[in-house]
Amino acid sequence: MKVEVDDVVLPGDFSEEIDTAGEKGKVILGPGLRKEIDKVYITKAGVLRKRAPNTFWVDSYQKRYVPSRGENVIGFVVQKSGDIFRVDVGSSCPATLSYLSFENATKKNRPEVQVGDVLYAKMLVASKDMEPEIVCVDSHGKKGRLGVLNEGFVFKCSLNLVRKILNPSCPLLESIKNEWPFELAAGMNGRIWIKANTMRETIAVGNAILASEYLSDDEIKNMCTNIASILAGHVS
Amino acid sequence: MGAEEQNIKEFKLKPMKCELNFLSKSDGSAILSQGETVALASVNGPLDVKMQSQSIEKSTLEVLFCSKGGKPSVGDRYKENIIRQTCETAILSSLYPRTAITITIQELEDYGGFLSCCLNTACLALVNSGVAMRHVFAAVSCALDDRGNILLEPTQQQLETARATMNFVFDSRQKSLVTSFTEGAFSEDTYKEALARCRSASDLVFSFYRDIVTKYSKVIG
Amino acid sequence: MAEIYKLIHPLKYFNDYISRNIRPDGRKFTEQRNIKLNVNSLKTADASAVVKCGNTTIVCGIKLELATPKAEEPNQGFLVTNVELPALCSSKYKPGPPSDHAQVTNCLVSDIIVNSKSVDLKDLCIVPDKLAWVLYCDMVCLDNDGSLVDACIIALMASLKTLSLPSVTYDCETEEITVDENNKTPLKVHGMPVATSFAVYKALESDMLLMDPSTYEEDMCGGIGANFVVCCNNGLLCGTQKFGGSNPSTECQEEALKMAKHRVKLVEQVIEKCIKNNEIAMSR
Repeated sequence: MKVEVDDVVLPGDFSEEIDTAGEKGKVILGPGLRKEIDKVYITKAGVLRKRAPNTFWVDSYQKRYVPSRGENVIGFVVQKSGDIFRVDVGSSCPATLSYLSFENATKKNRPEVQVGDVLYAKMLVASKDMEPEIVCVDSHGKKGRLGVLNEGFVFKCSLNLVRKILNPSCPLLESIKNEWPFELAAGMNGRIWIKANTMRETIAVGNAILASEYLSDDEIKNMCTNIASILAGHVS
Repeated sequence: MGAEEQNIKEFKLKPMKCELNFLSKSDGSAILSQGETVALASVNGPLDVKMQSQSIEKSTLEVLFCSKGGKPSVGDRYKENIIRQTCETAILSSLYPRTAITITIQELEDYGGFLSCCLNTACLALVNSGVAMRHVFAAVSCALDDRGNILLEPTQQQLETARATMNFVFDSRQKSLVTSFTEGAFSEDTYKEALARCRSASDLVFSFYRDIVTKYSKVIG
Repeated sequence: MAEIYKLIHPLKYFNDYISRNIRPDGRKFTEQRNIKLNVNSLKTADASAVVKCGNTTIVCGIKLELATPKAEEPNQGFLVTNVELPALCSSKYKPGPPSDHAQVTNCLVSDIIVNSKSVDLKDLCIVPDKLAWVLYCDMVCLDNDGSLVDACIIALMASLKTLSLPSVTYDCETEEITVDENNKTPLKVHGMPVATSFAVYKALESDMLLMDPSTYEEDMCGGIGANFVVCCNNGLLCGTQKFGGSNPSTECQEEALKMAKHRVKLVEQVIEKCIKNNEIAMSR
């Protein structure tokens, strides 16, 4: 079926706008779109989006992570073998992480990473034909915010929810960060790590995130004030 | 009988109800009722797979069919085969090499047209899981009663007295035939007519899919 | 050279043939392979047939047994089909319990026989609720080179046509069964279902139908079990099966139905001639 931008799409649909834009110049196809011989077809169900001048993608619902280059993910170290760590990031096969891809790591100075540790890392190699590889440094050799996450609490959610709360227009984090202090790391693989001062506050952040999945912006703001008042009432 | 004859003219199908994401732990799931027939499907994948069933150029699709009785039978293998072959044409399996995608289908209620309900449920579960697909597909069943009339989506009573039943699956791109399986004997012309009718009825299934996706896509963005 | 080309560019190799309107084994698109049939080849079975469609070889044997009918259908006998694909017939199968493919083929074959109503199960009943015949039809594949269902149906129908049932007397009071092997009546076979497989090849412009495909052609056209199987019986269709693979256009389907109807006559002739020859040989 023929569809337009911002329409609900199903796999097998096509949009003439993409095809005509493709004839004029370069088009960037995001997730959920695929070129077949001379036409672009939609491969995922969701909403077709466009960002000017010519970037197209489909906002779709997904729970299973498929690695993609440059994304920040949260993984668990599952194995230490020689020079590499194997890290479970939720994809079909575990990602590899060299012990040299940590800040200030050398052959002598090995990073202290144990099996079972939680890592915040960047996807370096993500190809469908190869094992994914992650690193805990940026291109300047600095760790930035990457590395082992100590203490805190990790929970799983859908990939959309992570994208939603990281969207600058989403009021969730903006609202709760003013209410009480906490640390948060969101992995694009549908895992979120949080750390707050007390157990009660940690759970409050987690619940707020999970509850916001199907809420609109206004509802999220309401919910945040509700949670804050409940929390404050009990703490004081 | 009057209502039935109207059904034929208006291409009415049994009322469909569906819930996506019915199971919290699987990557995609759907429960679908078509009339009184109900099936539940769950999709997991792309997952890690054993070396021996791994394919280097595409993902392997595994289909598991659980009947209500729970005992596996030869008939179940046959159903699994139909579902697997149909889903294989729809999934872009070359995008996930060396992995497996598993589809599990649980029979809940069978009041006629069960296999086509299973196929539609599997399609919805795949849509929900976010696996890249070439197209979606819709299954429509019909029966030939003893007077030679074609009944779309027959009830169990109609099936018991039917001379033949036919099931067709169409893709959403050109509405071409993906899968067909029939029971009983019928003439060539009847076959063609049934095919044409089911093809036009498949539009209803596709628009139902679109409605379902519309419902949940408003909030996910 | 051609062998290397086939290995490196399997798709292109196949496409090169198809685009020149010929199949890799030299056949035309609508040409079937030669059918070789022999009936009564196994002396231990009550009826048997060996069929070769090209390289595909199927041996079918029917064994008769007596049993009590099911309580739900007291006046019906049984016809049990079983298709075996042992490891011997292709490198794809492993020894062990029946593979999925064997089970699915068996389902298809038994569905075709049931749907065509070529054997009336009531004919197999001797005394209602007490005694009935069971026909165990075992089909063993010796060499699998595609179009399995076609070959299975030919072998099965040829065996059924040569099957004769010994007369049985059943004493209701003493429940004594006497089988008279010398007094046999042939089994009534109504109609003659013939299955025809087509592989659907999706070329860029149009779809191609390859009649009676070999395993190699099946692999290139959507893999095992993606054939479009049309089964005709007395001018009626008694089963059209297609599971996935490429999608044939409406014109293609019509063409397939036409070709399948045409093939029925041919196969019928083969079977009848073979049975006649066998009878002549037996009477000598």
